[in-house]
Amino acid sequence: MKVSQSAKEKTKVKILESAVELMTIKGYKNASLREIAKEAGVSNPTIYNYFPNKEKILYAYIEQKLIETGQVLKEIEDFHTYTLREQLQTLIETQLEFYLEDREFVTQIMSMALTPSMGAMELIYESKEKFTEMVSEMLDIAIEAEEIAEPPFKEYMPQLFWDYNVAVVAYWIKDDSEMFENTTQFIDNSMGVIEALLHSNILQKTSDLGMFMFKTHMLSSLQKFSTKQSGFNKIKRKLGEVFNEK
Amino acid sequence: MKNSIPTTKMSRGGVVGKAMLKIGVSHSKGVVKRAFMSKEKKEESQKETHAEIAKVIIESLGTLKGISVKIAQQVALGLPFLPQEYLDEISKSFNSIPPINKALIRKIIKQELGNYPQGVFESFESEAFGAASLGQVHLATIKGEKLAVKVQYPGIAKSIDSDLGVLKFALTRFAKGGNIDHLMDEVEARLNEEVDYEIEAENTEYFYNNLKHDLIVIPKIMRELSTKTVLTSSFLEGDGFEEFLAKNPTQEERNHYAQLIFDSFFMGLYHMQMIHADPNPGNFIFMDEGKLGLIDFGCVKKLDNEFLASFSKLHVSLMDKVDDSEVTQQYADLKMIDKDSPEKMLEFYQEVIKPLDRIYIEIFEGDSYDFKENNDFSERGFNTIMEVQKKSITAVHNMNEDYIFVDRTLLGYYSMFEKMEATIDTRFAQKLVRY
Repeated sequence: MKVSQSAKEKTKVKILESAVELMTIKGYKNASLREIAKEAGVSNPTIYNYFPNKEKILYAYIEQKLIETGQVLKEIEDFHTYTLREQLQTLIETQLEFYLEDREFVTQIMSMALTPSMGAMELIYESKEKFTEMVSEMLDIAIEAEEIAEPPFKEYMPQLFWDYNVAVVAYWIKDDSEMFENTTQFIDNSMGVIEALLHSNILQKTSDLGMFMFKTHMLSSLQKFSTKQSGFNKIKRKLGEVFNEK
Repeated sequence: MKNSIPTTKMSRGGVVGKAMLKIGVSHSKGVVKRAFMSKEKKEESQKETHAEIAKVIIESLGTLKGISVKIAQQVALGLPFLPQEYLDEISKSFNSIPPINKALIRKIIKQELGNYPQGVFESFESEAFGAASLGQVHLATIKGEKLAVKVQYPGIAKSIDSDLGVLKFALTRFAKGGNIDHLMDEVEARLNEEVDYEIEAENTEYFYNNLKHDLIVIPKIMRELSTKTVLTSSFLEGDGFEEFLAKNPTQEERNHYAQLIFDSFFMGLYHMQMIHADPNPGNFIFMDEGKLGLIDFGCVKKLDNEFLASFSKLHVSLMDKVDDSEVTQQYADLKMIDKDSPEKMLEFYQEVIKPLDRIYIEIFEGDSYDFKENNDFSERGFNTIMEVQKKSITAVHNMNEDYIFVDRTLLGYYSMFEKMEATIDTRFAQKLVRY
C-alpha cells in the first residue's frame, strides 16, 4: 500500500516532535532512535526510513520550522506592503517564535554547533537552503520593485543573511533578559545596519548597534572580568588590616 | 539568571559615566575661561557653556534613547527655572522615540496578546497613526468598532534609571538651588508609572467612571486587550489641537473648548482629587457636537485633602490680596519656602515667589480672563522667571512636588489658551477653590 504524501508528512512531524521531547529530557546524545520511534509510535524500520541517523533529525527540525515560518509569512495579508527590512525581520522573528517553544532543544543544537569538535555547524548549514530561498525571493522582489538597487555580490546576500540568522539564534540562546528584550533590540538594531547596508548609509546605523552592544554587553563582561582578579581584593584586605591596627 | 539586570544597569552606567565626564570637562572649561573676562563677556560665555552642556546632555540622551525623551519632556515642563539653553536643546529631542516597524509590531502584539494582529483584531493598520508616550498608536477594529492600540517599544522601562542618572548629574550641577533630588524622585515615580500601561488603564477607567460631564469624553479601556506594554481603548474621532486651530474656529468655539479644558481640570482636582498632569495639547481631541476628548492618562497626579486645603487657602489668600507675611507663612506650610527667620522668609517670598504668583493669580482676579488680550501671559511669566534666576537669593531646597505639578499643568493649559486666543470664565474654578 502506498502511503500518501500528507500521511508521510504527518509521520515525519510526529517523529520530530517526539525527538524534540526526548532530546530535551535526556539530551541529544542519550536519546536513541529506537526510543524516539517508540515515543512516536512508529516501528524501528519506519524511523530509519525517515531518518537514517540522529543528525538528520536536527536537519529536518530546522527545515520543518522554516516551512512553518514560511506558512506564517504567507498568511500576512499586507506582507507586500512591508519594506525589505521588515520582511527579513519578520522572517527572523517568526522563526525565533517557533524556536521559543523548543528553546532547550535549540540550545542543545546551538551548543553542539558552536563546539568546534562536534562538527554540527556544517550540519546546521546543510539546512540553510530553505532559508536562503526565502531571502532570495524577498531580495528579488525588492530589487524588481526598485526598493533597493541591485547590491553587488547579490548571490552571496542570502548566504550572509543566513550567517546573521545563526548569530541571532546564538545571541538569543545566551539572552537572559526579561522576555528576551535584548534579543528584540539586538535584532531591531542590527536589522537597521543591514537596511543601511542595502541603502548604503551604514555609518550611523553601525554606531547605533555598536552603542547597544557596548552598553548591554561589553561593559558588563569587562566588569565580570575585572572582578575575577582577586589581586585588588587582596590589596584592599591588606590595607584594611593596616588601618585596623591604627 | 537574574543577574542580567544589575549588570545591564552597570553597563549603561558606563555610557552614562562617559557623558558625565564630558559634561564635567565642558563645565570646567567655562569656569577657566570666565575667570579672565569682563562681566558682559562672562554672561555671554556662560550662555555658551550652558548651550554646550545642554548639547552634551542631549547627545548622551540621544544615544540612550528610549525613556530619555520622556524625561526631557518632564524636565522641560517641570523645572521652569532651568536656563533656556537647556530647554531649547531638550525640546529638540522631543518625539524621537525609536519607531516600531511592522515586523516588531507583529511580534509585540503576539507576545502580549497571544496572537498576531490579524488574529486578535478584525482589522489592524500596521502603519501607526500617531506617536504616544514611549510608543506609537495603531488603529484597529473589532465588530466594526474603531480602537486605538498603543504599543510600547520593547525594553524601554529598563532604561529609566540610568537615563535619569545622567540628567540628575547634569541638573544638580547646573540648576540653581542645587538640591533637586526629591523633584527627580517625583519625575522618576511618574515615569515608572507611565511605562506601565496597566496603571494607565486604571487611571483612564477612574476618569471614565468619575468625571461626569456631558461634553467630556474619556476612552473606554478594553481590559482583555491590554497589558503592561499594550493598551487598547475605544478610538475618539476628532481633530488634534493644531488641526482644530487650522480650521479657523469661531471665537465661541475657541472659548467653548478652552472652558471645557479649564473646568475639567478643576473638576478633577476637587471632585476626584486626581488631575491629568500632562498638559500636552496632543492629549485633547476636539470632537463633533462641542465634545472634548481627553486621552493619554499615563501621567496623572493624585492629591490628598491636606494638600487641597492648603492649595485652596493659598489661592484664596492670593485672590483676596492678604498681606505678604500671611502668604509667606502659607507657602512655608506648603513647603515651598525653607523654614528660616520670618524676615528671611518674607524676603525670599517677595524677591522670588511674589513676582511669579502675581502673574499667576491674574487669571482668578475677575470673573473671566481674556487670553487674546493678555497674549503675553507666558512671555511675562518666562521673563519673570529669568529675572528671578539672576538673583542670588534663589536657593530653594524644598519644593512641594504636588504644588509644582498642579501649577505646571495649569501653566501648560494657559499657554494653550493663549494660542487659542480664548476667553475663559473662571467663576466655576473660583467657587471650587473657595469651597
